Amino acid sequence: MQQRRELDQVYTNRKLLNGQLDTPKWWLPTVSILGVVVLIGVVVIATMINKGLGVTGLARPVYWGLFITTFVFWVGISHAGIMISAILRLTQAEWRRPVTRAAELLTVFSLLTALVFPLIHAGRPWRIAYWIMPYDISRGIYPNIRSPLIMDPVAISTYLTGSTLFLYIALLPDLGNLRDRTTGWKNAMYTVLSLGWRGNPRQWKMQTVGGILLSALMLPIFVSVHSIVSWDFAVAAAVEGWHSTIFAPYFVIGAVHSGVSAVVTMMALMRWLWKWDDFIRPEHFDALARLLIVVATGWLAFTFLELTFALYGQDAPEIALREMQMFQWPWNALFIIFFLTAYAIPVPMWLFKRVRTNIALMFWTSILVNIGMWLERFLIIVPGLARRTPFVYTWEAYRPSAVEWTIFIWSFAWVTFLMLLFSKFFPLVPLFEQKESQVFTEDVMIGRAKIPAIIREAD
Amino acid sequence: MASQAVAHEAEHHAPPPNVDADVVTRELIATTTGASGRFKAWTWGLGILSVVGIVALILKFIDQGDDSTKWGYVAALVSFLLSVTGGAPMVAMAPVMAKANWVRPITRIAALFSFAGVATIIMLIPLVAILPPLVTEGARRRTVWYMAPDYSPHFWTTLSLVLLLITGIALFYSAALPDFASMRDHSTGWRQRLGKRLARGWVGTDVQWRTLRMRIGMFGSFYFLILVFVNFLVSTDFGQSMVPGWRDAIFPMYHTVSGFQAGVAGVVIALYFSRKYMKLEKYIHLDAFWSLGRLLFALTLLWIYFFYSSFIVFWYGRSENDIATLDLLIKGPMIYAFFAGMILLWFVPWWILIWNKVRRGTAMMVVGSFVILIGLLIDRIRTFVPAWSVPGDQIHQKWLKVIPETVWPDIFDILIMAGGISLVAFIVMMMTRVIPVLSVWQVQEFNLLAKPIRYMKGHATLVAKPD
Repeated sequence: MQQRRELDQVYTNRKLLNGQLDTPKWWLPTVSILGVVVLIGVVVIATMINKGLGVTGLARPVYWGLFITTFVFWVGISHAGIMISAILRLTQAEWRRPVTRAAELLTVFSLLTALVFPLIHAGRPWRIAYWIMPYDISRGIYPNIRSPLIMDPVAISTYLTGSTLFLYIALLPDLGNLRDRTTGWKNAMYTVLSLGWRGNPRQWKMQTVGGILLSALMLPIFVSVHSIVSWDFAVAAAVEGWHSTIFAPYFVIGAVHSGVSAVVTMMALMRWLWKWDDFIRPEHFDALARLLIVVATGWLAFTFLELTFALYGQDAPEIALREMQMFQWPWNALFIIFFLTAYAIPVPMWLFKRVRTNIALMFWTSILVNIGMWLERFLIIVPGLARRTPFVYTWEAYRPSAVEWTIFIWSFAWVTFLMLLFSKFFPLVPLFEQKESQVFTEDVMIGRAKIPAIIREAD
Repeated sequence: MASQAVAHEAEHHAPPPNVDADVVTRELIATTTGASGRFKAWTWGLGILSVVGIVALILKFIDQGDDSTKWGYVAALVSFLLSVTGGAPMVAMAPVMAKANWVRPITRIAALFSFAGVATIIMLIPLVAILPPLVTEGARRRTVWYMAPDYSPHFWTTLSLVLLLITGIALFYSAALPDFASMRDHSTGWRQRLGKRLARGWVGTDVQWRTLRMRIGMFGSFYFLILVFVNFLVSTDFGQSMVPGWRDAIFPMYHTVSGFQAGVAGVVIALYFSRKYMKLEKYIHLDAFWSLGRLLFALTLLWIYFFYSSFIVFWYGRSENDIATLDLLIKGPMIYAFFAGMILLWFVPWWILIWNKVRRGTAMMVVGSFVILIGLLIDRIRTFVPAWSVPGDQIHQKWLKVIPETVWPDIFDILIMAGGISLVAFIVMMMTRVIPVLSVWQVQEFNLLAKPIRYMKGHATLVAKPD
């Protein structure tokens, strides 16, 4: 796995800082286009807040639609950072090194984006303030703290705070590096941000210990976030298809599947755009694809259990819902696309090393996974509400409006826009991790074979 | 440069030096002969207890074979034994697939538990006969078999357990070929003859090694799939479907994860005693305990996560189903078992294993592992005893309307449980007389791939990672 490649430090600095010290030609046009899309999205959001939720396709009984699906999707994507950075750091997986920063970034930006959806979905978002400062507890306006809907923002904001801290601590050595290579206002900015980083042994020790501690602390938060999101649905006994005990781990493993795939997409883009062929190498894609095979198969097992135990109760409404999900138009088409894209196409392909080490194929299969995982959330949320039940007299099916689709597209443009903006000021591949991997790997001769080896601390 | 080796230098000591390959072969093969008096006494004691347990099982079947409500403890025991004997070989597989070097010397000890799966099957036999049919008096109870033939849970569960046993033994055998060849070349008497017969002409050519690794990977993957499937069947057919209205999608995974937890705990205990009483400190390094400790800690956290994920949905749901399920399994007749299980399976191990010093040692690790096994047995009693205590005439209802009284174990149950657990220990101990408790070739491979080195001012290990 560790296909050692000798790279000197000057070359590493020059290549990995090329986004900050120079501006690639494609950067400004891309950021400008994305900026326009973001702006359109902001205008649409403002219009929706002004006019009210009537401009969306949401109507009883489908009161949770595209917004909540996309919210769950982005929370899922945010699981990339901790999975790649914290878990692989704790398990000392060497191949994680070039990927960590991108994964952490994806966590922070996707969480920021996810938070927007419940906020705008509230219709009158300023009323969220009552949750923080309730003005009349005696009238029951104080939020019910036992509700997962309250636990949700708490968990997500804790996760966001922790992830930002995690990202920042890992950035410190690189900020010191940039400070020493810039002048003017940039130098002033990096001087402030690098917190006096000099790279002395004490600072390295603190940074390492800080990273390990944060990794361990972030893990329970990582698990709790998507579990709580799942309980938004699972504790609602009235909606068929939602009241399932498996939802928490099912959502978490689905989030990891989706998040790690998003990291693969991002790595391929980084390799192509910044020409980092020496740093993001086929073996990194190979390792991620192997991880994805395991995660995706675990996720499939949970999907199987979810479906099995939905039918296990043999309750007529539950059976009717599953029949609708799988056999009625248009849900059946979505279900087939979901299954094909989330598992049936990518995973068998990843079984072949040729595919795992082919960056273009990995890019497209990882995108397929996220199409599938978005559809999975849509199929969990909407059909359960849309099924015709007694005393519901709305006969129209839910159709997301243009406003909803625009805001949906805005979310992708927004995350990409933030990423590109970040890349202008901070390296997307951690320099110090890259150099550390050079120090900690060497080749050893075993018999006549040259084998890559890693230096590990002695226990 | 940031380095964990430097950051924690003060806490670490030098890794043990590598042992010469010839010495490894000689010393490990010698462990199969010359059992100490204490070993013999324990083997006899466990053997007698096993026989008593089997006799008690037969007598119970004769005496109480027509009343399924009295078989909850045997069902709990079957589930417990499946967890330990099925979960332990996964220690031999999962880290190998993840290419963890520390696990190489200890894979054999984990694989030996496969043979103890015989104990699970013996205990299962009467239970299969007593398991209520899918359809009684024209009514079909809720199971994962839906419209399948009546014999499905009885037949397929038994078959899958037998398949698990066979695959486990096949996994063991695939990895043991080079050691049988070592026995052929370096042992004497019946062990040499056995080695010659089972080594199947092993001389260690490139092709043989490639085939060996392919077989380990193939049987390992297959074993994992069957293990998950068996856990799914046992937990639903012998647990969940016995209770009307208990619909818990996470329960099979909960059963599987706690099985892995028990398997790792079982391996830690076996490692501890082998290391201490067979004088294998040279080969079973603290590194193995440290890594198993982390695995055990993670599994302990996963257990509470799975438990809580299920509990909160029932707790918030408040439907008749949900309330009855909580009343039966947690708040009602099994409340003491619930608290005991919670303390022993989660709180105490969590508190013990969270400390680095504990995981770097052996004594507290083995204490934590024993606590986990006791906790798991109690937890299995909490889930399976009340499930089997539901009278046959209530099993078809939509939900449980009358919560049964607590069922206490009778003398048969106590003897069967003692016998079943003893039988597992007995089989594992007997297997150490047949083949070295540590895999000779994997210890040699470990020595070849990991070399202790000086790194800056500290100690480190250089670990080669062949593809």
